Amino acid sequence: MKLKITIYLFAFVLLSIVLLEACKKSDATDNTSKTTPLTFTIPAGWPQPATNIFASNPLTEEGFQLGRKLFYDGKLSKDGNFPCASCHQQFAAFATFDHDFSHGFNNAFTTRNAPGLFNLAWMPLLHWDGGINHIEVQPLAPIAAPNEMAETIENVLAKLRTDSNYPNLFKAAYGSTEINSQKMLKALAQFMGTMVSSNSKYDKVQRGEATFTTAEQSGYTFFKSKCEACHKEPLFTDNSFRNNGLAVNSFLNDFGRKRITNLSSDSLKFKVPSLRNVELTFPYMHDGRLYSMRDVLDHYSTNLITTQPTLDPLLVSRIPMTTTDKNNMVAFLRTLTDTVFTKNPRFKQP
Amino acid sequence: MKVLKIILPLLVTLLAFVSCEQNADAPAPLQGTVKVTFSNKVKGTNLVLNTGSYINNTGETYSVKKFKYYISNVSVTNIDKAATEVESYHLIDQSNAASLSFSFTANAETYSHLNFIIGVDSLRNVSGAQTGALDPLNDMFWTWNSGYIMAKLEGTSPASAQVNNKIEYHIGGFSGPNNVLKKINITLPITAQMLNIRANKTSEIFIDADVDKWFSNNISFATEPVCTTPGALAKKIADNYMNMFTVTNVVNN
Ligand code: HEC
Ligand code: HEC
Repeated sequence: MKLKITIYLFAFVLLSIVLLEACKKSDATDNTSKTTPLTFTIPAGWPQPATNIFASNPLTEEGFQLGRKLFYDGKLSKDGNFPCASCHQQFAAFATFDHDFSHGFNNAFTTRNAPGLFNLAWMPLLHWDGGINHIEVQPLAPIAAPNEMAETIENVLAKLRTDSNYPNLFKAAYGSTEINSQKMLKALAQFMGTMVSSNSKYDKVQRGEATFTTAEQSGYTFFKSKCEACHKEPLFTDNSFRNNGLAVNSFLNDFGRKRITNLSSDSLKFKVPSLRNVELTFPYMHDGRLYSMRDVLDHYSTNLITTQPTLDPLLVSRIPMTTTDKNNMVAFLRTLTDTVFTKNPRFKQP
Repeated sequence: MKVLKIILPLLVTLLAFVSCEQNADAPAPLQGTVKVTFSNKVKGTNLVLNTGSYINNTGETYSVKKFKYYISNVSVTNIDKAATEVESYHLIDQSNAASLSFSFTANAETYSHLNFIIGVDSLRNVSGAQTGALDPLNDMFWTWNSGYIMAKLEGTSPASAQVNNKIEYHIGGFSGPNNVLKKINITLPITAQMLNIRANKTSEIFIDADVDKWFSNNISFATEPVCTTPGALAKKIADNYMNMFTVTNVVNN
């Protein structure tokens, strides 16, 4: 008798398990590859990004590493010589070091200065004219541009598909060796979007881990009264488009934001650049026309053109500065250099 | 013990039902399929890429090399019912016969309207990397000014003074004053019958798209041979092409 009951009970339990499992199976997705989730940490005291660029691009270590490899890979360019990293160099906070314009395919120059790449998660519109509306579609611009990487997405994908490593890396990140543009672009976005620069001396002072020198403090005080309106802390940009009084370059005839919006009121407006790592991202402005920080300050104090109709109202009387003010300002701007970021091994060439 | 012998099998049977209950839907409504087919024409004759020769309203001759447009957010509706296609993005491309028709599931009902957007809704223009019909590989995405080209026509006309007599219309713009998105609602009782969807059957809607309509209101290849940015000309052409569709037939099965 006892044995019989045991058998019955055993059969019951077994059946229950089988049945429950059968139901579970139909709910589970097949895509159960083991990825390692990454969390995106917002530095203390920073605002939330305007939009969550990772909302439909779940961050994983594998996705990030794939993006990193792509960023450094010449395969994304026509002749193999122009990976993203050829123009975006880590030691220059991912700007092109000491170049007004960067070199692209076939000895061509870019028509704008390559900005540093960091804190992009807080940047709703990319490029100097804000023409790019999402970090995931940004790489399409340099890849296709004949004066940059000069390659088609078709060819890039074909090269990745026949590569000995990429199919496995895509599999690690997305659960399948299938390679398509969306996966490639999302991986690049994971790499670029998680580049956060938040460990400069300025940040340490904010966190109470360091103190400004007298000169730096004076520069900071001046900055808060005259520059802050556009170069807003803690990102040092308010992400708006403004005309800061540069003459039109007659070679380029670059009218900035107007090219995107068709509005004459946007003529000669460019995105307010972040000033983080500004010591490393020289030369300055959208066309790299100003070589040093000192040149920039001379621009704001004396050289700025006040006759353009779209000149920002904040600059109509320029920003008068004494030599001491300028020295202090340079001292302050140098505190925005983040060597933890420029040396972060996670962002190095893999 | 007898009791156990009876109860256990009962329990097992019960479990079989209970455990899968989540998956068992309420009785599914009867469903059929809507198939929509586009035929690209010029003033009633079939559009033939490259070799066909046509004349616009200002008397200029032209031929067409590329003709493609997005149809999105497709639904069929009646006063109190709607069948909306999910992930509804289609690139109708004259050079790709398979692209000229698509199908989706609808409850077995009668529908009086076909609705869609010419172009890609603004949300998908700002949502990053897409795939399928919206893959940037399809050559319908502006890289320098993020956003989809909603409709594209390229060809030649002797009236155009552009290099190799090119004419090129890339119509896009999804926001503010540059918005070229057009919502189309077509009333279906074309041949005195509405769209009737029956269980497990496919009913079809046939639509003609007339290229000629792009150049209504005196668009001239001499003066306006190229449009590759959002703006006034793009809007003018979109206002024109929103009138290019005619439902020619509804076939109920
Ligand atoms: C030939 C040099 C060059 C290459 C190669 C290049 N870039 Fe750039 N990058 C630039 C320039 C110049 C700009 C500024 C463009 C503009 O504003 O019009 C820029 C802008 C950007 C921006 C926008 C930054 C901002 O602050 O708005 C991002 C992001 C970016 N590049 C990422 C990439 C990625 C990813 C790749 C590789 C797929 C890449 N770049 C390849 C030169 C280059
Ligand atoms: C009215 C808004 C505004 C104010 C105020 C302002 N800036 Fe700018 N700044 C801009 C804009 C816009 C640019 C980019 C202009 C361009 O490239 O065409 C810019 C560029 C710069 C750059 C170049 C950065 C780079 O990477 O190229 C520096 C440095 C700079 N500003 C420093 C300052 C300092 C210091 C002050 C205060 C003395 C200041 N700015 C005040 C709007 C402003």
